[in-house]
Amino acid sequence: MTDTTMHASTSTGIDSGKLGMWAFLSSEALFFGALIANYLLFKGRELQGIHPRELLNIPFTSASSFVLLMSSLTMVLAHAALTREDQKHARLWLLATAGLGMAFIGGQVFEFSSFYREGMTLATNPASSSFFVLTGFHGAHVTVGIIMLLTLVGISLRQGSLSFGKGLNLELVGLYWHFVDIVWIVIFTVVYLIR
Amino acid sequence: MTTPSTRQGFLRRRIPATGFWSWITTVDHKRIAKFYGYTGFTFFIVGGLEALLLRLQLARPENAFVTPAEYNTLFTMHGTTMIFLVVMPIAAAFMNYLLPLMLGARDVAFPRLNALGYWFFLGGGVVLYSSFILASTGAPIGGFLPESVSRLGSAANGGWFMYPPNSGPQFSPGSVIDFWLVGIGLAGVGSLVSSVNLLTTIFNLRAKGMTLLRMPVFVWMSMVVNFLLLFSIPIITVAIFMLIFDRQFGTQFFEASGGGDPVLYQHLFWLFGHPEVYILILPTMGIVSEVLPVFSRKPLFGYAAIVFAGIAIGFLGFGVWAHHMFSSGIGPIAQVAFGLSTMTIAVPTGIKVFNWIATMWGGKLRFTAPMLFAVGFVAMFTIGGLSGVTHSVVPADWQQTDTYYIVAHFHYVLFGGSMFGIFAGLYYWFPKLTGRMYHERLAKFHFWTMMIGFNLTFGPMHWLGLQGMVRRTYTYDADLGLAFWNLMSTIGSFLIAVSVLAFMANWIDSRRRGELAPMDPWDARTLEWSIPSPPPEYNFGELPTVKSLDDFWYRKYTEDDEGRPVRRPEADALLAELEATHAHPKHRPHLPAASVFPPLAGLSALLFAFGILYHSTGLGLALILVGGVALLASLVSWGQEPVEEEV
Amino acid sequence: MIEHAHPTPKQYVAIAGILVVLTAIEVSLYYLDIGGFNTFALIILMLIKFVLVVGFYMHLRYESGFLNRLFIAGLGAASIIYLVVLLTFLEWTPG
Repeated sequence: MTDTTMHASTSTGIDSGKLGMWAFLSSEALFFGALIANYLLFKGRELQGIHPRELLNIPFTSASSFVLLMSSLTMVLAHAALTREDQKHARLWLLATAGLGMAFIGGQVFEFSSFYREGMTLATNPASSSFFVLTGFHGAHVTVGIIMLLTLVGISLRQGSLSFGKGLNLELVGLYWHFVDIVWIVIFTVVYLIR
Repeated sequence: MTTPSTRQGFLRRRIPATGFWSWITTVDHKRIAKFYGYTGFTFFIVGGLEALLLRLQLARPENAFVTPAEYNTLFTMHGTTMIFLVVMPIAAAFMNYLLPLMLGARDVAFPRLNALGYWFFLGGGVVLYSSFILASTGAPIGGFLPESVSRLGSAANGGWFMYPPNSGPQFSPGSVIDFWLVGIGLAGVGSLVSSVNLLTTIFNLRAKGMTLLRMPVFVWMSMVVNFLLLFSIPIITVAIFMLIFDRQFGTQFFEASGGGDPVLYQHLFWLFGHPEVYILILPTMGIVSEVLPVFSRKPLFGYAAIVFAGIAIGFLGFGVWAHHMFSSGIGPIAQVAFGLSTMTIAVPTGIKVFNWIATMWGGKLRFTAPMLFAVGFVAMFTIGGLSGVTHSVVPADWQQTDTYYIVAHFHYVLFGGSMFGIFAGLYYWFPKLTGRMYHERLAKFHFWTMMIGFNLTFGPMHWLGLQGMVRRTYTYDADLGLAFWNLMSTIGSFLIAVSVLAFMANWIDSRRRGELAPMDPWDARTLEWSIPSPPPEYNFGELPTVKSLDDFWYRKYTEDDEGRPVRRPEADALLAELEATHAHPKHRPHLPAASVFPPLAGLSALLFAFGILYHSTGLGLALILVGGVALLASLVSWGQEPVEEEV
Repeated sequence: MIEHAHPTPKQYVAIAGILVVLTAIEVSLYYLDIGGFNTFALIILMLIKFVLVVGFYMHLRYESGFLNRLFIAGLGAASIIYLVVLLTFLEWTPG
């Protein structure tokens, strides 16, 4: 079994990269929390112009939520493959995760452009602004995640194998990716499903 | 064994070398600390000059030394500079330099990330100050903006907290505010990155036997500071993005007429802004907690209480933010709640003050320069804290807010507190940093001149404020009776300037010609004094093991029946042995290799930031593209670079 | 060195299945809209999904208490802070 994270002796016994990543994700809770609070503040206000809730397409977004959930599964399968030292399947599952991520982003782009066509833009009113800023930053985080996933695939191809010490670490990218997924779990419920 | 450069495809990690390039690509925490320190101090001079200009304008009523527009820029940039570009980076300098040394480690947990934090800070400062050359305050609007504004008035002018709608698109149509937003945003990301690194370092890289409650107080305070940064920087980042969007993309987050709410900005800003002031004071509380015991020849009184009080301050610091909004219409329930929480935070602060006093009580006091500044810190900070407690009483605060009484408060805690603590630390660790002693008499001159000048400058502001002198206003009427003490205050500010010159002369001359200092000139307590001065690149020849708090001290001293320290007979031999072991280790320790990607990423981010500022021009779009691609390429390459870590 | 148990790939797939079912229930609740209880139920479902992903996919269930407390600190701070901010907007308007 390959240890996927470095096991130097640290004072807490926790791998430093893992500790750092969890600290970073903890701070991201404050970041996305502010954006979600913004949306919650404005969503109930009397505002001019089209409000997001008039345009949200639940079936479509349910499908893209499903896509993102599945990408967490493929991510965790990539990790399992690497643990078994199965480089080929690790790469395949990583590519699948990136692909599902790209499908999600494609769905977001489609959704946003259809909103624009129907007259709800970034600047329409604070509710639409906070909607776009929240989902936009989430999408930006997904995109960064996709780049990291593809970088991992690149490392695996060029250097023959992924392991700690060779650069970007799969387990840490996985933590980031799952986090981006759980932020969406919250956004989907709070923005789309709760009336 | 020296680490050979390893090849991974076309990427190679270089061996540390000498020369300019080795500094640019450095990941050595001590060099990065020097970067932070010298850059921060340079900004201190700049911010100080801004202050002197302010004071010259206020020396006489109805003065016309600077125009109102220039005045607004000066106080905004003075505050912004001192907070973001002076105290924060100098604190970062101390934390970067000392944490691995106090913990018994070779470097921090993520050396490249450490470097990146500095380059982002520098980039942010460059963006902010380039405003004087590149930005404009915008076209005159209906008479309330001046026809033309000089270069001196062409930087951010909305106050360091930048409230909309004043800082929004309607009332600040130019670009000066955007330069502030982008610059501070970039610097903030640097702080966030740094906090992840330092927290991991503190938790994971402690010497064998160093449990958390055996760490020096400076390390504990650094831990709290980095948690505060970790949780507060994201919030101001959101506020900054929202204000940029309001200004550039037509959103109305903070525009009441469009359904938005300016008070939302205030919440988001102060959710960051209040923890920020604890970020500014806690490192220096840590410094003072190290200095006082050494020059009292007594252990710190109530170590655990000071540690837990620090944690409590950090925790409560997130619960008081709306005390900056008592006059913003937040409603009586919120006012009562935040008034109470603000009163509560005085308790752990007071605990620390009492413990510091108790540390000195009955000790064998040596009034060296570090000790003078540390004692000065305790006294001045207490005065500032007392005025702070008066702000927690809501109706009193309604009177005090936006007057010079508030200006007095925060200068007592930030200058009398943070800066005095910084000077205590700079003198205290000077011998460790340089291997030489500073000139003691000149340092004492610095202290007394600064003490008198500081109190002359800011003391009168207490009553000037209560007499009605308002903040952020370029002049005052001659018949208000404010002139005399304003003049005194200005004289005081020039005394401060003289004292700073004395410090600079001392630093520069002592580095070259100061008396050579031994490894442990102060007979101190913590691990950094057990290695040569200046420390070797790898810090410790052999990583130490500790058995208690102040382990180094207890290896030199034992106690008699009355608890007084008694030097062990083997102490001198121990010191000689330690110096030799660390100067000439048996096996040359493995060090993290230098990397070009942190500075490259920093430069790319800087280009990208300018691109955002000029996004409505072709040049701006090109910069966004080039900077963005370069940033991506740097980070992807970084991700493929071999990780060489020494734990 | 902490050795952690890992769920097997089969177990990961099973968890994914549960997540899909929960999402389907959530979406049905949107359409059924059973009144005041709706929001409460949606939040509960959201939290269950959240905990499943964090606990099993992100492995937090098997990690040290330190990492748990670190992450929960951020979540807790965010929840309380933003709740207070939203409450101040609710509690009082001038006039």
